[in-house]
Amino acid sequence: MIQNSKYAIEVNNLTKHYKGLSAVDNISFAVERGEVFALLGPNGAGKTTTVEILNTIRKPTSGKVMLLGMDVTQKKYDIIPRIGVLPQGFSSFDRITVKETLQYYSRLFCRKKPDIQGLMKLVNLKDKAAVQYKNLSGGLKQRLGIAVALVNDPEIVFLDEPTTGLDPLARRAMWEVLLDLKKNGKTLFLTTHYMEEAELLADTVSIVKKGKIFAMGSPGELIESNADYLVVMLKSVDETVFDIVEKMGFAPEYDSHGHITVRLAHTDDVRRILNAVRESGASFTGLDVRKPNLEEVFLKLTDDTFLKSVAGIEEAQ
Amino acid sequence: MNLRIIHANIIRANIIVSIKSFYREKTVVFFRIAFPVILILVFGTIFMERDNEIFELSIQDLSRTTSSEQLVEALDQSERFNITPVSPDVDAKQYARDNKLNLIVIIPENFEISLMEKMAAGHFETPVTLTKVYDPGSFGVTTKIGVLDMALAKINQEMSGNPPLIASEPVSILKKKYRFIEFFVPGIIAMAVMTASLFGSVNVNAELLQKGVIRKLSTTPITRIDWILSNVLYQFILAVVSTAVMLLVSYAVFKVSLEINAWLVVFVALDVFAFVGLGMILTRVAREAESASAAADALMFPMMFLSGTFFPVEMMPEFLQTFARILPLYYVNEGLRAAMIAVDHTAALKCALIIGAFAAVVFVLGIMTTRIGGETP
Ligand SMILES: Nc1ncnc2c1ncn2[C@@H]1O[C@H](COP(=O)(O)OP(=O)(O)OP(=O)(O)O)[C@@H](O)[C@H]1O
Ligand SMILES: [Mg+2]
Repeated sequence: MIQNSKYAIEVNNLTKHYKGLSAVDNISFAVERGEVFALLGPNGAGKTTTVEILNTIRKPTSGKVMLLGMDVTQKKYDIIPRIGVLPQGFSSFDRITVKETLQYYSRLFCRKKPDIQGLMKLVNLKDKAAVQYKNLSGGLKQRLGIAVALVNDPEIVFLDEPTTGLDPLARRAMWEVLLDLKKNGKTLFLTTHYMEEAELLADTVSIVKKGKIFAMGSPGELIESNADYLVVMLKSVDETVFDIVEKMGFAPEYDSHGHITVRLAHTDDVRRILNAVRESGASFTGLDVRKPNLEEVFLKLTDDTFLKSVAGIEEAQ
Repeated sequence: MNLRIIHANIIRANIIVSIKSFYREKTVVFFRIAFPVILILVFGTIFMERDNEIFELSIQDLSRTTSSEQLVEALDQSERFNITPVSPDVDAKQYARDNKLNLIVIIPENFEISLMEKMAAGHFETPVTLTKVYDPGSFGVTTKIGVLDMALAKINQEMSGNPPLIASEPVSILKKKYRFIEFFVPGIIAMAVMTASLFGSVNVNAELLQKGVIRKLSTTPITRIDWILSNVLYQFILAVVSTAVMLLVSYAVFKVSLEINAWLVVFVALDVFAFVGLGMILTRVAREAESASAAADALMFPMMFLSGTFFPVEMMPEFLQTFARILPLYYVNEGLRAAMIAVDHTAALKCALIIGAFAAVVFVLGIMTTRIGGETP
């Protein structure tokens, strides 16, 4: 028995074709027990397809997926009781209340003494126990979905876009719940569009696009290895500055606050720009030089046009 | 591989959720329980009156003699008429038009004298004539005149004292005399169970599929057999409740004489099995909720009208009768009537085998096409 392998999830050369389209294209990765793994990628990247293959809902075209040491294509009914799933766009029975929904799913897993109260407390739904599903707000529905994913006390929890469509406050509340799960030693596999979410929650982030993994590592590593440029921000400038920077061959942009942002490949360039501005006699009140964050790394890796805005950077990979 | 493919507690959990969803949705409760009852009440009332109809009969007695009074009396005794006298002073035709009467019988002024003369002379070749003022455009007036003529013939025969040369006595092929309502109620039961099972399973499954609830369910230990059995059992429970309500109302309001036996349960169960299964196949084939409902409509309407729900199949032209015999609902109708009216076990068994075979095929196809518990490409 290799059921107690070190890895909760092992994916080797996984490929999934839909009539001529490679939704997932030969990807491999492994997730350790207790690790939080985030699949980050734009729409249509193949995140849901990957998760659903891992959840035993879809069959891979080729490749091997092991969950808790068991092959997903052969051990469906052994795997299912040990995983919890929040599908993308979770939905439930309209006229069934929060408490009844949790009771129902507990019964599906044949739980003898389900801790319904504990689950409702965990996701902060205790005062909504008697509210029917159709009368819950989007954020509450999503939280119920997480509670449902936990009814069988799973070892691995899969969350496909757990915070999509939530307001910033609800999103933070959801993060709290997920951090709690992490503390309790659950292995979490989540997909998301939000960098700050991955940065905050994940031990490992895997950036996917068009079915391929572009980069993988801890958020820090990813930034480190892809941050081959600097972000410079000039505050409260007069308009001539933009033209000066542009004429020097860089690609400045105005951000939402009216500041000028420009991405530079070399530290030298910062000095050159400052000199040029000073010589022209234009003024500015603030200057901020920083490394890119995960969001920019994500854009760099997934958006082909993004690279062009960083002067002096050769096409990576 | 888990070899247990049926989980009793999962099925129970599904049924609890279905029943709660059912009674919390008031319009569904109305269509499921109240609507068939309303159909029975409306059609039952209409046809009840036609069955033992007492006709309204207006008589204008111009003779006003003992003999004419005796004639009216004799018609009254026949118990087929509710007699209303019309004043001799009015014009019968005008009166009929004004009061929307479709028939007025006029007893002529010379009624008693003519009658006496003929009796005395002992010859009856030329009878005394009553005038029937009637509205030829009125629905049912022919029946009324027919009944009136029969009543008059009987009176004639009694007065002349001759015994009838030819007599006839009706012998029903059924143990009891049965009325339209007894024909109608089993048909409505079969139809109500069919539509509820078909639409129940199409709507619920298409909705849950579209909303992604089925996808969530397929990450739980539920199997497709659990799911189908849950659907079938839930629909069966509702079918039993709705059938019980229909029968109670029929007994209470129309005093129907319908036999209740195990066949009733058998046919309701087979009805549910067959049409829940069919609904599940449609959901899978049509994919979209709307097209699944449309397909269900397309199957249901011919069955409702052509399989003998509202009127006997024998009333239809030959080719439609042949068509009716390939409709599954026909066998539920025939089977239920064989069981409840004629109590003909052989006929009931024959129908049960046919609809049972159909249900078995549909159920197997349902299991093969239903998409839950993974195993999807
Ligand atoms: N059942 C299917 N049949 C055909 N193509 C599909 C099917 N499911 C997904 N696809 C395609 O596969 C690709 C990957 O889809 P997938 O849902 O996995 O993306 P995703 O990363 O989850 O996107 P999103 O962020 O929008 O949820 C898309 O191009 C999608 O159109
Ligand atoms: Mg997705």
